[in-house]
Amino acid sequence: MSKKTSDKSVIKCLGFCGFGMGANATEVDVKDGRVARIRPLHYDQLYEPEDLNYWKIKARGKEFEPLMKSFPPPLAVGYKPRAFSPNRIPYPLKRVDWDPNGERNTHNRGKSKYVRISWDEAAGTIAAEIKRIQEDFGPFAIYAQSDGHGETKSIHASHGCQTNLLQLTGGFLKQARQPDSWEGWYWGAKHAWGMNPVGMQTTTTNVVKDVAENSDAILFWGADPETTPWGWGGQMASRLSYWFTELGIKSVYICPDLNYAAAIHADKWFPVLPNTDVALQLAIAYVWITEGLYDKAYIETHSVGFDKFEEYVLGAEDGVLKTPEWAAEKCGIPDYKIKALARYWAARKVSIAHCNGGGYIRAAFSHEPARMEVYLLGMRGVGQPGVNMFQMIEWQLMGIESWNPLPSCTVLPSVEGCYRGATMDLSEPFIPKTRIHDAILDGSIDWHGHVIAGIAALDQLFDFHWDKDRDGGIKMIWSDAPCWSTCWNGGNRFHEAMRDPSLEFVLVQHPWMENDTKFADIILPVTTTFETQDFNVDTRNGQWNLIAFEDQAIEAYCEAKSDYECVGEVAKALERLGGAYENLYERYTQGRDVMEWVEKGFRECGKPDGETADFEKFKQDRFEAFPTKENWEEARAGLIDFYEDPEGHPLETPSGKIEYYSETLATAFPDDHIRGPVAHWIDKGDGHDDRLSSERAQKYPFLMITNHPRWRVHANHDDIPWFREIATGKVTGPDGYGYEPVYINPADAAELGIADGDVVGLFNERGTVLGGAVLSERVPRQTVSQDHGAREDCVVIGMGGLDRGGANNLICPSATTSKNCAGEATNSFLVGVKKVDPFELAKQYPEAFSRTCDPDWGQVVADYIIEE
Amino acid sequence: MKVFVVDVAKCNGCYNCQVSCKDEHCGVDWMPYAKAEPMTGQFWCGVEERVRGTVPLTRISYIPHLDAQTDAIGDYAPEAVMEREDGIVVLDPAKCQDRKDIADKFPGVFWNEELGICQGCTGCAHLLDDGWTVPRCVDSCPTGALRFGEAEDFAGELEDAVRLDEKSHVYYLNYPKRFVGGCLVDLDEREVVIGADVALVGPDGAVVAAQKTDEFGDFMFDQVEAAAYKVTFADKSLDADATDADVNLGDLSIK
Repeated sequence: MSKKTSDKSVIKCLGFCGFGMGANATEVDVKDGRVARIRPLHYDQLYEPEDLNYWKIKARGKEFEPLMKSFPPPLAVGYKPRAFSPNRIPYPLKRVDWDPNGERNTHNRGKSKYVRISWDEAAGTIAAEIKRIQEDFGPFAIYAQSDGHGETKSIHASHGCQTNLLQLTGGFLKQARQPDSWEGWYWGAKHAWGMNPVGMQTTTTNVVKDVAENSDAILFWGADPETTPWGWGGQMASRLSYWFTELGIKSVYICPDLNYAAAIHADKWFPVLPNTDVALQLAIAYVWITEGLYDKAYIETHSVGFDKFEEYVLGAEDGVLKTPEWAAEKCGIPDYKIKALARYWAARKVSIAHCNGGGYIRAAFSHEPARMEVYLLGMRGVGQPGVNMFQMIEWQLMGIESWNPLPSCTVLPSVEGCYRGATMDLSEPFIPKTRIHDAILDGSIDWHGHVIAGIAALDQLFDFHWDKDRDGGIKMIWSDAPCWSTCWNGGNRFHEAMRDPSLEFVLVQHPWMENDTKFADIILPVTTTFETQDFNVDTRNGQWNLIAFEDQAIEAYCEAKSDYECVGEVAKALERLGGAYENLYERYTQGRDVMEWVEKGFRECGKPDGETADFEKFKQDRFEAFPTKENWEEARAGLIDFYEDPEGHPLETPSGKIEYYSETLATAFPDDHIRGPVAHWIDKGDGHDDRLSSERAQKYPFLMITNHPRWRVHANHDDIPWFREIATGKVTGPDGYGYEPVYINPADAAELGIADGDVVGLFNERGTVLGGAVLSERVPRQTVSQDHGAREDCVVIGMGGLDRGGANNLICPSATTSKNCAGEATNSFLVGVKKVDPFELAKQYPEAFSRTCDPDWGQVVADYIIEE
Repeated sequence: MKVFVVDVAKCNGCYNCQVSCKDEHCGVDWMPYAKAEPMTGQFWCGVEERVRGTVPLTRISYIPHLDAQTDAIGDYAPEAVMEREDGIVVLDPAKCQDRKDIADKFPGVFWNEELGICQGCTGCAHLLDDGWTVPRCVDSCPTGALRFGEAEDFAGELEDAVRLDEKSHVYYLNYPKRFVGGCLVDLDEREVVIGADVALVGPDGAVVAAQKTDEFGDFMFDQVEAAAYKVTFADKSLDADATDADVNLGDLSIK
């Protein structure tokens, strides 16, 4: 690179999964001490194609190639502004009316502003509080919110550095993060076909090759390969989608809104109403059963309990035939189209593609559509050539090498050797992330299972209980993931919990003043990835796995420190208190400096020559990519082994086969009629009553679609001006505020008197969030769509509250997936829609509406700081 | 002469081109080629988004624009354009002072109120002159929708390409036209009608295209010229006016 346009280039893996699972390798050019540009990483600067055992998938006379550069998403290419956002937290802050030695004013969290304090004061106050709470209430009165997406760093891990420190001082109360990206698969499908720990088909080796050679169609069921993969691995999924079309494979999209992939790739779109897929699936089964269109021999040899399912479909159980006519009324797809889909599918080789997210898998009772999909795949002889389920995202997640439909790589590296974030620790005590507000407000909760992604199905049978009197209550929250309320289930109720007097101290460390950060008592300023030196991997690109030395690109912003260093400051302050905290900093850092951690990460990354490899050369090269396996194409595709020999290659269910009837669930939960032994259509129950046929729909007549956001990764990226100004980014209201888009069908909008660009309120019993109306044929009638994860801008805090930012998780249900499944149900809930006048609201709530909305950036930190 | 070739059929709408352009230019001077672009509001490379059709036959076409890459600017204001052998159009910041007229006249050229100059796509000439082979937008395009090179390298492809003005260096393949689609249904039998003959008839009464409905009862006449058509099937003839917009005729009873 010439000196004229770049002084130096460093590599940054700008994936946003977190958890030490890096992705999106990019080249970051630096000039004059600033990030000049972020661009694809060109592998050919180090390698010839043959060095990497360059792969090609050949089918039907065409070829698909990985090419020699990375394919970062706009979320990476446009990430630079986050580093100098006016919403960056410049120095440690203390809530002005929080006095650890006097009045704590917990009811003012989310409302009162902050004053600047020194690092010494911040760390000293934190240390004193930790010591007091540990001595008075025990270590488990400190709840660590230490998981989440965001910048995917290793040594300076965005999430969980504090758990390493707390573990050294007696432990802490864990936040067990449920499998929020695949709830239904986890709670449902695992009981139908195993596939631990995920519940989706995890044996997908060479499935892209298989689909290319053998499939006639792909059902993209609730999947958006043009959005959800972005933050997790870039744009290979997009390239694949084009290639499938080029091969003549029909792309059928089944999703309530015309998602971004359907908009450009769909040969056929079935706009199923949100969370009514089960009705559609049952009707398809009805057609297959009554017309004899399924693989009876396969069902005989590969499944158990099919008769119970058949009885339900044919009405023997409840007197209701699950006909296409029955389904049409529920799911919004005309009966004749359901029949056409069922017969088309039955006559061809069809695979199903997924991309996480969406109402299909994170709405109420999501275990039902997930199981139902397995049932349908069973009726189609899943595992035979051309018939598999595969992911277009998160390839090789959790180190599962077979969970990758593209050619396998020789090395699947990890950052384990230097990862300083939280590990998926199963020890007690813990509280499910979906129940934290219940724990604080109710004081006692029960649930099943460890609730952490990555555990086998039978874990769901264990009972757990937490009680404030028995377990010491929750006196302190230490969060490095301050986006619970804009990402999880029932944010307005969570806000009430955050203001509960029992919660004495809330500590947040974060780069930006956003979301739950505004509920903290002390805030520590954190650096972005550009400001640190680290070791990383990219194992999600679909091309070749690689490891990277990520050098520091720019100086730290103001007084910010990395998460690892922030916790280190607290360690030093605790150490000064002596006693149990003696030598704590040394124990926390294990005596290593950052470069020593980088080297440890490099040596222990899993590459065969890690112990002896030349570390200096690695630093100079900056990355190392690993070649494709020799003879990769010979590995058998997907579930072909199970298909050909179910006895020899059983599934992980008790019977080893597909279980249409789960004896496990029948025995463990005999009274559970919501997640019974056979998947059913569930109208309502367990705290959910969100059907258009419900009485509630009289007041709240729209089903709300809350997709994973197009221009964010959950709560990340919301301040980036280059995304906000895109038409699908923000809608500028008549008051100049950037409102989160709300997609409304023009016919519904006409009835409601809403015009394009109007400010609208989405409301239910739990509160109201605002948005900017976009009249669009991308959503069918009776639905509205607003991406989740927008930054909160609360006007009225708590249940029944009002949020200007459009953080719709504030008004989604608190109730979990179903009573025995502690998953989130944050999509497909009922809302009302009304036009609002922002100028009237401004008169009613002058303080909240007087906060800055920078035309480029939105909210800014200055509004929350009291200058001395 | 360098040209940009945009295949609209391959544009996935990721906006990497628009965003990487801003990453390169917003808040940064690359003199003598370009003064800093404001953080928002200018689109030297800008993606146009067209939502087409109606539920359930809705589609989006994305059309990246680099409208300043046209010799029409040089024809109008030769003094404001740098002389380059590769044909890339670069508005010389030193000579664009007070030239709001250029911004007013040409899409893709923007008026910078603060600096008092007009600005637009430079083809990343500062990078090309520094050893790059393609501009930022092309480097960041994941699908190959956006390409850059010598005109003769694309020779065969450019014959039917569309240009937004006749002096433009930007050539569009598969530039969106209109579609007319629908679904044939036998409402007595409650079945879609598969394999039925459907014809698209032009204003002059001539059949423009004919096809049979597919396994879902659907027909789709894609990339047809904007015109007031009729669609005929069985003994029926329906208006399908695609003059101003794409047409989804919806579910049509054959009886």
